[in-house]
Amino acid sequence: MGNALGIIEVEGIGGIIAAADAACKTAAVELLGWESIGGMTSLFFRGSAAEVAASLDSGCEAALQLVDRVIAAPLTQPESACVKLIGNPTQEDVEIPPGALGFLESRGYSTQLVANDRMIKAAPIDILGLLTVHDRIVCTLINGADGAVREAIAAGRAYFSNNEHFFCSSVIPNPSTQVLRAFAPNS
Amino acid sequence: MLPRGALGVLETRGVAAQIAATDAMVKAAEVEVCGRQLIGSGWVSVVVAGQVGAVETAMASGVCEAPKHGELIGAEVVTSPDAAIDRLPHGAGLGDVVLDSGQALGILETRGIVQLVAGGDAAAKAANIQVSGWACIGGALCHLAIRGDLANVATAMQAGKAAAQAAGELYASLVVPQPATALALLLPETAITATEAVGAMGIMETTGYIGAVAAADAATKAAVVQVARFNVGSGGRIAVMITGAVGHIQAAMEDAVVAAKLAGGFENKSLVTLPDPQIVSCFAHTASSAVPQGSALGMIETRSTVALAKAMDEMIKGAKVAYEGSMKVGFYLTAGVVRGAVGDVKVALELGALEARRHGGLVATYLIPQPDPAMEPPLPHR
Repeated sequence: MGNALGIIEVEGIGGIIAAADAACKTAAVELLGWESIGGMTSLFFRGSAAEVAASLDSGCEAALQLVDRVIAAPLTQPESACVKLIGNPTQEDVEIPPGALGFLESRGYSTQLVANDRMIKAAPIDILGLLTVHDRIVCTLINGADGAVREAIAAGRAYFSNNEHFFCSSVIPNPSTQVLRAFAPNS
Repeated sequence: MLPRGALGVLETRGVAAQIAATDAMVKAAEVEVCGRQLIGSGWVSVVVAGQVGAVETAMASGVCEAPKHGELIGAEVVTSPDAAIDRLPHGAGLGDVVLDSGQALGILETRGIVQLVAGGDAAAKAANIQVSGWACIGGALCHLAIRGDLANVATAMQAGKAAAQAAGELYASLVVPQPATALALLLPETAITATEAVGAMGIMETTGYIGAVAAADAATKAAVVQVARFNVGSGGRIAVMITGAVGHIQAAMEDAVVAAKLAGGFENKSLVTLPDPQIVSCFAHTASSAVPQGSALGMIETRSTVALAKAMDEMIKGAKVAYEGSMKVGFYLTAGVVRGAVGDVKVALELGALEARRHGGLVATYLIPQPDPAMEPPLPHR
């Protein structure tokens, strides 16, 4: 494991979840955790300079499928202070939920709660948790069999059709366990 | 527990609207409050449960009441909710303030802490009321809850509204003559402790950390004043509270305003003479006791964590400075603080500014060559 650091920052949470999964699958990087300021969230990962560079590329690409703008940078020999900025470090003691991972993100709690109801009733899935950062952003994480997660996310999206506060959604069929440890809330 | 045929979730911008709506809901039908959620920018939700008809009736009264005291964002009903919905985070958000029967409730809600302090002080002085507490809910909105008998609460609120308006903008206010007991779940609670009598209290509010620290430093150098606390609000707001004799506070505030305007982000200020002890306890009670560092202090504020991390990295590598801490102030702002000899900090800030700008996120840098020791203990970034 190298000492270089990669940081990817986007608005909302969904974009960095997608980026984290792509980053972990591209090279043997270690997810250190994430941080939020206002509605901007940043993903921190560590590896060799080459690994970090490769993971930054694929992570940014994955995030850009969901959000318009990505800020990213490598730090080849980071000072220890840089890692102190991580507000949500990756947890060790998370029970890894099986199956696919889906997320649905929007602004506002009342509509997200209804979307949760629609998703649970649409397919046999579990709600892993609900993440909030500032600026009204709410992201629900679900898991279950790939088909069920797809169906549930589709139902959630259908509920948000034409809603200006909808942000993004995605299904990751085989999520990296590191992603689950970084983002699945401890329950 | 009531049967849960349905859940209703009512979302408002502002707590006065939420409390008024909730009071109407639990009085209109047999529903119980089972959750509350804050998601930033002043958006707050309350979740009620009951039989379908009861939830629908309750929601209709809530929807009617909320816009009178703020902004209604949304109102949704979910029938036959899955148990998983109960595990969502709103269930953990309830408070447990004790609301005595026969007590009326008053809520003062402002955009900015300056108005809240000025209004709260006037309210507490005008009548015999008890301050329950205060809280920030994002988007620079903050609120103060008071209770007491109706005549006192009404008098206090009138004085509080007038003082808050004189200090700036009042967002909402509310008097609930006979509050439903369920409202206790939604009220802020701040421990009120005995404090020493204070001659005057100055409040200086900025957007961003740099302006606040610059103001505090200027205040302590201008006169004999104490920096009691940095109240970290929401929406990027920070309010510096200084206490001392009235003449000293006046002199300190003058310099602090100049410094905050120079550093950037000045929002509002106010001076309260002989502040009410409850208000001093809420806003200016000193809790921290960190050891002053003594050397020069450098601050860099950015709109991006990437920009801050890259800037910090450059600063520590390029100059002999030590990382001291960082401060998230919400509203897409984050600041980093370093210490070192003046020359080193200066070089570091130049390097940091260049790097942060490269990542599109520089707001400002600021150097305090000799920070006043009186300002150091309450600094919240450590």
